[in-house]
Amino acid sequence: MTPRAPGPVRQTWGMVLRNGSAVSGLALLASVLAMTLIVPAFYPADPFDIVWRPLAPPGEAPALPLGSDFLGRDVLAGIVHGGRATLAVGASAAAICVIIGIAVGAAAGFYGGLVDGGLMRIAEFFQVLPALLFAMTLVSLFGPDFVTIATAIGVVSWPPIARLTRAEFLRIRELDYVRASRAVGASDRRLIWRVILPNALPPLIVAATLTVGAAILFEAGLAFLGLGDPNAMSWGLMIGANRDFALEAWWTVTLPGLAIFLTVLGVSLVGDGLTDALDPKRHDR
Amino acid sequence: MHDTLMHPPAPRPPRARPARFPATSVPRSFARATIFCLALAALAAPTSATEPGRGGTLVVAGGAGLRHLNPAVQSGAHTGLGVQLFAGLVRVDDGFRPRPYLAERWEISGDGLSYAFHLVPDARFHDGTPITAEDVAFSLAVVKEHHPFGIAMFDAVERVDTPDPHTAVIRLSRPHPALMQSLVPLLMPVIPKHVFGDGRDPKTHPMNAAPVGSGPFRFKEWARGRHVILERNEDFFIEGRPFLDRIVVKFFNLPSVRMLALEKGEVDYYPFAGVRFRDVASIADNPDLRVSTGGYEALGPVNYVEFNLRKPPFDDLRVRRAVAYAIDQDFLVNTLHGGLPRPGYGPLHHSSPFHADGLNRYAVDLERAATLLDEAGYEPDADGVRLRVVLDYPPFHADSLGTGANYIKSQLKKVGVAVRLRAPADLPSWAQRIGSWDYQFTMNSHWTYPDPVIGVHRIYLCGNIRKTIWSNTQGYCNERVDALLGEAGSTLDVARRKALYGEFQRIVSEELPLYFINEEPYVTVSHRTVMDPPETVWGAMQPLDRLWLDR
Repeated sequence: MTPRAPGPVRQTWGMVLRNGSAVSGLALLASVLAMTLIVPAFYPADPFDIVWRPLAPPGEAPALPLGSDFLGRDVLAGIVHGGRATLAVGASAAAICVIIGIAVGAAAGFYGGLVDGGLMRIAEFFQVLPALLFAMTLVSLFGPDFVTIATAIGVVSWPPIARLTRAEFLRIRELDYVRASRAVGASDRRLIWRVILPNALPPLIVAATLTVGAAILFEAGLAFLGLGDPNAMSWGLMIGANRDFALEAWWTVTLPGLAIFLTVLGVSLVGDGLTDALDPKRHDR
Repeated sequence: MHDTLMHPPAPRPPRARPARFPATSVPRSFARATIFCLALAALAAPTSATEPGRGGTLVVAGGAGLRHLNPAVQSGAHTGLGVQLFAGLVRVDDGFRPRPYLAERWEISGDGLSYAFHLVPDARFHDGTPITAEDVAFSLAVVKEHHPFGIAMFDAVERVDTPDPHTAVIRLSRPHPALMQSLVPLLMPVIPKHVFGDGRDPKTHPMNAAPVGSGPFRFKEWARGRHVILERNEDFFIEGRPFLDRIVVKFFNLPSVRMLALEKGEVDYYPFAGVRFRDVASIADNPDLRVSTGGYEALGPVNYVEFNLRKPPFDDLRVRRAVAYAIDQDFLVNTLHGGLPRPGYGPLHHSSPFHADGLNRYAVDLERAATLLDEAGYEPDADGVRLRVVLDYPPFHADSLGTGANYIKSQLKKVGVAVRLRAPADLPSWAQRIGSWDYQFTMNSHWTYPDPVIGVHRIYLCGNIRKTIWSNTQGYCNERVDALLGEAGSTLDVARRKALYGEFQRIVSEELPLYFINEEPYVTVSHRTVMDPPETVWGAMQPLDRLWLDR
């Protein structure tokens, strides 16, 4: 037996690690994740507690290194604890979006014909609606809580994923190895899940990664418009709640804004790196 | 400075700029500002040293949402414009005392059951028809049947006699202390019988959008969603009034846009200004603008936490008291709101003549709150949580109610009550939820109006437990309170009424169906050239016939 070449996962990993933007993105994400998952244990202050006078600048109180917001709540506690809800909404929304997108795109691309026509008309219907307005309507109707917000973002953002999946399925289903599988009697289910989808994954992974970033921005946008979940501290909620005070208390909105910026930047850099790493044409480089 | 293409202001000779009004300018310090504003409420309408000048266009900032211009068949903040179009029998001064308006004098019978009003003899509607006692009788009947407070205001009215065209005699079945307060133009506008008495439903009458009025200004134009234009009534029954040639109400959707228009000089007068409490001081620093919180006493807005008394946990007085003891009103009013609002301790606005002092204030006491919760059987679980509750809040009065809800959540956590805030999608969905009793506790607010009979009884009477917002939605029923309000609503003896309302306020502050957090400070912002803006109890909701422009 000849020595085995490294598996696809390890190969990709190697490519990612050789990619500068991906590494810096990963580093950013890792620090954001560390701040969200580990630091709260060392800084247990409740971000909803009113602990000081409102709009105190950073450094006024020794206990409040980043100052207080319009209610007198600790901005540092908000930054540290708000990341969890922000990332959770981003990830859940992206998951919902990817699940809907792949299911619709795979069915449309694999079966074609009437199924394709019908599903793509639905996708177009969602694409022509202004996404933010549609999401605002959903959140207004069902009330701003975590599940509604994540669902609303997912429901308005799936069409691009669906179209991408469909295009990949259309391309791959005519390839020889798919025909061969079909010829030996593979079921539709097997063809979709085991044969075509794994080969369609690389661009989808990139798209899904970028969707997480977009969903985080989306959540911040909704919260800015006053449609954040008032019971889950998130960076978007901090910006939304304090936006009226932006001119007199920059720290209340700039700092959570910076946190969102760094997170989305990290996600985007990783996405770009993955694009390069997963591009088969670049394997020689 | 105005939209000169559309409404060229009348050219006026230059005039020396008078000194700034001390009474309407707000000094930098919040505390002093508050004292000033409160002092304003007690003072008479400011009088200017300068002689009022005639002419000019007053541009008023308004919010979209105006449905029509007839205050006889609707109530609320969007009704105020009708006061410029329609006169009432009386108006009230800064001390709620009735003053002649369309009625130049009146006599009250010794038993308090008959009020004879003598109308100004040569008063005419805007179409030239004389205003007669028949119109007064007709207007009262329309208001009684179609106004939201029609029953509260005029249930006691048996009939209106019209012995001659200029005498209207209101005959009552029982003494009715709120009658005179109900005859102001906002609540009982005198509308023309020959226009509105044509058999069509007054609530949907087409002339509601372009009324023939009796007041100081006549209707000119209403471009929906953009502006309303009113013009001087040249034939007004008060000689020489009004001073203005024209009032233009411009509609803007966003309060911030209204404020910008004011700063740019496109708007002169902005009552019910949508400014944050913290901004009032910085507006006062602008030498072109004046800020005042006077002139809203007759509305008397009170903010409170409303408990649904039908179900646990707030059916238990100890839990309601625990909430009250957990809230630090001093922090709320002075630290969070910068000292602008007054704290509220009871169901009557401080400006009401029947307001009682010495009510239970529930000074913050977290230990006591915890003890009360222990006694009520709500012991802390492993996480220290005794109780999980949902607090609703409406989208209006955001500084008091939205910020207040966030503050209460933070305070109640300290005594082991985990509060989930339910943010409102919009006003109708919140009103629907509270109006159908489907809530645990909510932030709320209502207007107390100049007499408790009109604005306050509705919130507490057992008979008014209804599925409508701003009725007795909390489900409070106390026979003693019913008896007190019943008697206070049918005696003319002011001292007796004060005693009855005093006991009523003490009972409510002990039983806490509602826990009052503050009084909403409405703000009027006006340009410095706006002279003698109305500062009596009805503020911008009274005729602007004395207001003039100094330019």
